[in-house]
Amino acid sequence: MKRSPGLAAAVNAAQMTAVLAGIIVLFSLYSRNFISLKTFQSIANQIPSMLVIAVGMTFVLLIAGIDLSVGSVMALCGTVLSVALVDWHWGVLPAVLVCIAAGAFCGLVNGLITAWWAIPSFIVTLGMLEMARGGAYLMTASRTKYIGSSIDVISEPLVLGISLAFLAALLVVAVGQLILNRTVLGRYIVGIGTSEETMRLSGIDSRPIKIAVFVFLGLLVAVASIFQCSRLEAADPNAGSGLELRVIAAVVIGGTSPLGGRGSVLTTFLGVLILSSLEYGLDQIGATDPVKRLITGAVIISAVILDLYRKRFRAA
Amino acid sequence: MRRTALIPLAVFLAAMVFCGASASAQGSAPRGRKPTIVLLMKSLANEFFLTMEDGARRYWDAHRQDFDLLLRGIKDERDVEQQIQIVDQMIAQGVDAIVIAPADSKALVPACARARSNGIVVVNIDNKLDDTVLKSKGLRVPFVGPDNSRGAEAVGRFLAAHLRKGDKVSIIEGIPTALNAIERTRGFTNAMTLGGMNVVSVQTGLWEMDKASTVAAAMLTEYPDLKAILCGNDSMALGAVSAVKAAGRREVRVVGFDNISAVHVMLKKGTILATADQHADLIAVTGIEYALQALRTGIQPPDTETPVDLVTP
Repeated sequence: MKRSPGLAAAVNAAQMTAVLAGIIVLFSLYSRNFISLKTFQSIANQIPSMLVIAVGMTFVLLIAGIDLSVGSVMALCGTVLSVALVDWHWGVLPAVLVCIAAGAFCGLVNGLITAWWAIPSFIVTLGMLEMARGGAYLMTASRTKYIGSSIDVISEPLVLGISLAFLAALLVVAVGQLILNRTVLGRYIVGIGTSEETMRLSGIDSRPIKIAVFVFLGLLVAVASIFQCSRLEAADPNAGSGLELRVIAAVVIGGTSPLGGRGSVLTTFLGVLILSSLEYGLDQIGATDPVKRLITGAVIISAVILDLYRKRFRAA
Repeated sequence: MRRTALIPLAVFLAAMVFCGASASAQGSAPRGRKPTIVLLMKSLANEFFLTMEDGARRYWDAHRQDFDLLLRGIKDERDVEQQIQIVDQMIAQGVDAIVIAPADSKALVPACARARSNGIVVVNIDNKLDDTVLKSKGLRVPFVGPDNSRGAEAVGRFLAAHLRKGDKVSIIEGIPTALNAIERTRGFTNAMTLGGMNVVSVQTGLWEMDKASTVAAAMLTEYPDLKAILCGNDSMALGAVSAVKAAGRREVRVVGFDNISAVHVMLKKGTILATADQHADLIAVTGIEYALQALRTGIQPPDTETPVDLVTP
């Protein structure tokens, strides 16, 4: 029996919504105020950064790549933004532009080297992880930079705790999903992840597409850094350490295959929601650090095992 | 192919012989020369150690004729392995004294013992080496550093004066395995217990701004009547402030620790009530002076506690 991909995606999303609902019910039993507008607002306030990076990471995983540099690049972009605003006394617009340029540049370097010399992105982005962190320390002389309220309108709640950053992140999810499902580029991206050789034999040069995917992620990382600086009113050169692993975990929980060729931006959104609700709930019930790590790790592994069964079910 | 592989090996061996020769030459230098002191810190990506480095450099600038100073740091606060390697490197280079802020109070003891058996003066600063392990090695190392617990208690007492008995407060601590994190939490808890406040939650923010922001947001949701958040360092205090602001709960007071430059504005605005300054520069300078004194007299100076000051707007 063959199922339509649309149906499979719907089943996938429904299963994940059920997992999310399960987490919410579980935490509401163990804490007093989990099911509340406050919880929703806090999560909505915190996830935009991670969400936009996860959207970009979904594309990178789809082409069977990986980007380990996102945490460091986010710190670099944040420090560029803060130095432009505070030390160079630039206006908000040029500062934001140079910040975005920094992110795109890092993505371009990652993409160019990965695609041109066919070096595994794992190694290239590992190098970028170090360089971007070094750059972030150089920009700020390793000191946390206080920015103040010049850009905090981005994360200020507009209505019901929903901020501009949250709306922008939702827009990114929508655009990402459209690119993936409704454009030729999206088809090519899935094609590269499924079989690059087949793409080559059909006369399609995969290199510019790969570069574009890394630049897209770089841009989104810069956007994430703007959200984060606006929320924290400061740029921390140590920001985002270990973020790459959390983002990859969220994307994989969302059912995107780390081996490429299969995934969806919408379910990445659900993956981010699941991981952040889990983290937030564990914080709220006052779980100790070891317990948090044990549970989060177990959830990641369970998600991948679940995904394996879903794939078999679909293949059957 | 095989022969070309031998070239780097040969170069490496030649370099080793050369380094060995120069190291032994240094070791047998005549008495009366300038001693070399190395200040071995933790991560130089941490503002605290940058202040320490600056202080040491300024002191050296004023005393260039007395000694040579090497400044070393490790990449990551938790990279114990790398710090041990640097100690061994310094032993091989034949320095005269090592002033060390150990990344781990137990794991660094054997390396310090090796340095001492090579006739190198060792002074322990900032984070105290573990007493039982020192004893098991038959070693006594002078310590120069602050009492983290006492500093945190001073911050906690200042906060308590702004609260009422029975008020709910929470603590965001550093990495729970770090001795200074444990000490600060102890000081905070003591002050709160003395003031009659109710500590409802203690969780780690891993020294990070963003993580602390998430933890603080969850605490604020769970305890709608929370009155204060005590943070183990200023980065985490900045994170807590952003959570307080996002939750619209400006009545919740936040205190920190370290007095980094980014919190100065916050102190003035009153969004952070107080912090503590450990004077990292003074710790380094005192450590270096100790090393010079021990080199001159051959006698080990006693332990010294450096001041921790309460900083309020």
